[in-house]
Amino acid sequence: MTDLSEGSSLTDIIKRACLDAFPVYVPAIPFAIVVGIAINDSAMPRWVGILSTPVIWAGSAQFATISLAGSASWLTLVLTGAIINSRHIMYSAAISPRFADQPRWFRWFGPYLLVDQVFAMIDQAPELSGRVLRRYYLSIGAFFFVAWHLFVAVGLFAGTAVPDSWQLGAAPAIMFAGLAIFGATRKPAVVAVVVAAGVSALTLQLPNRLGLLVGAFAGVAAGWFAEQRYQQKVEPADDTSEPTT
Amino acid sequence: MTTTAALSAVLVIGFITYVSRAGLILVLSQRELPDAVTAVLRNVGPAVLSALVVTILAGGGDLGDVDLTNVAGVVVAGVVAWKTRSLVLTLLAGMTVIWTLTALL
Repeated sequence: MTDLSEGSSLTDIIKRACLDAFPVYVPAIPFAIVVGIAINDSAMPRWVGILSTPVIWAGSAQFATISLAGSASWLTLVLTGAIINSRHIMYSAAISPRFADQPRWFRWFGPYLLVDQVFAMIDQAPELSGRVLRRYYLSIGAFFFVAWHLFVAVGLFAGTAVPDSWQLGAAPAIMFAGLAIFGATRKPAVVAVVVAAGVSALTLQLPNRLGLLVGAFAGVAAGWFAEQRYQQKVEPADDTSEPTT
Repeated sequence: MTTTAALSAVLVIGFITYVSRAGLILVLSQRELPDAVTAVLRNVGPAVLSALVVTILAGGGDLGDVDLTNVAGVVVAGVVAWKTRSLVLTLLAGMTVIWTLTALL
């Protein structure tokens, strides 16, 4: 929950966005560096690998694309990237009501910045709307865009700077676990989190990381069922007050 | 890999990624969603992020490839997140567990 309101100035919003985004970004630093190293090692021409950073603008799919180049067919590359990024369809559906009062240019441009972290942060700031939401969204989107490119460049030019002994590879998992817990403020969401994790674990052997999607769908479905039961328990009085026909 | 093949693959994946992010925002944002749909969408964030955690922990492998030290770090981080609602403390707690267990085991 941010401390922003309709009266917040642009400077306040940018400051708040950067302060909020910084701890969310830090765990992604080693991954950005690894992507930079992978571009150097890729069978793709180096400039195309570099261009993939702003064009694909999604770490996992970019990493898979540049790593598989040379060893997989063109179609496999495209399908793998598309499948890994298909979780964004769910983000798009979930966040769409927040764009209802936004201008057309933002409805077209905003989605370009919708990486995992931006979605998670906006999802957890439901109190924001209108101009403040737009400025906050663009500020955190710009922060992640600039910071990601900066550390991909570090990987490109000084890739071995981060020692393996720091074990920073687990940092993104810790960060996303924290963000998932922050979002699980109600019982149905807790059910969604637990079922999504369990089903993803059981379907890890599926190709192209499809287990991610299967787990996510299972979590959303379980959350919906839990929501029905939760509402029946919370609102029994409303049910009985309905006229019967 | 030829330049043309690489460039076209990157551009197509970039386009598909944008469409998957923008599609439903452009289609749904100007419509009133039924309550049932809103109820479903409410849990998308926590569910996808949770599934993402498991996928990252497995690192592209299966259940046998998951490092239990990292799992312990994530579990402790989850408890700290629940109790403190602080991402900084969450990250510190998780990484401290991983570093400590690695040093001890």
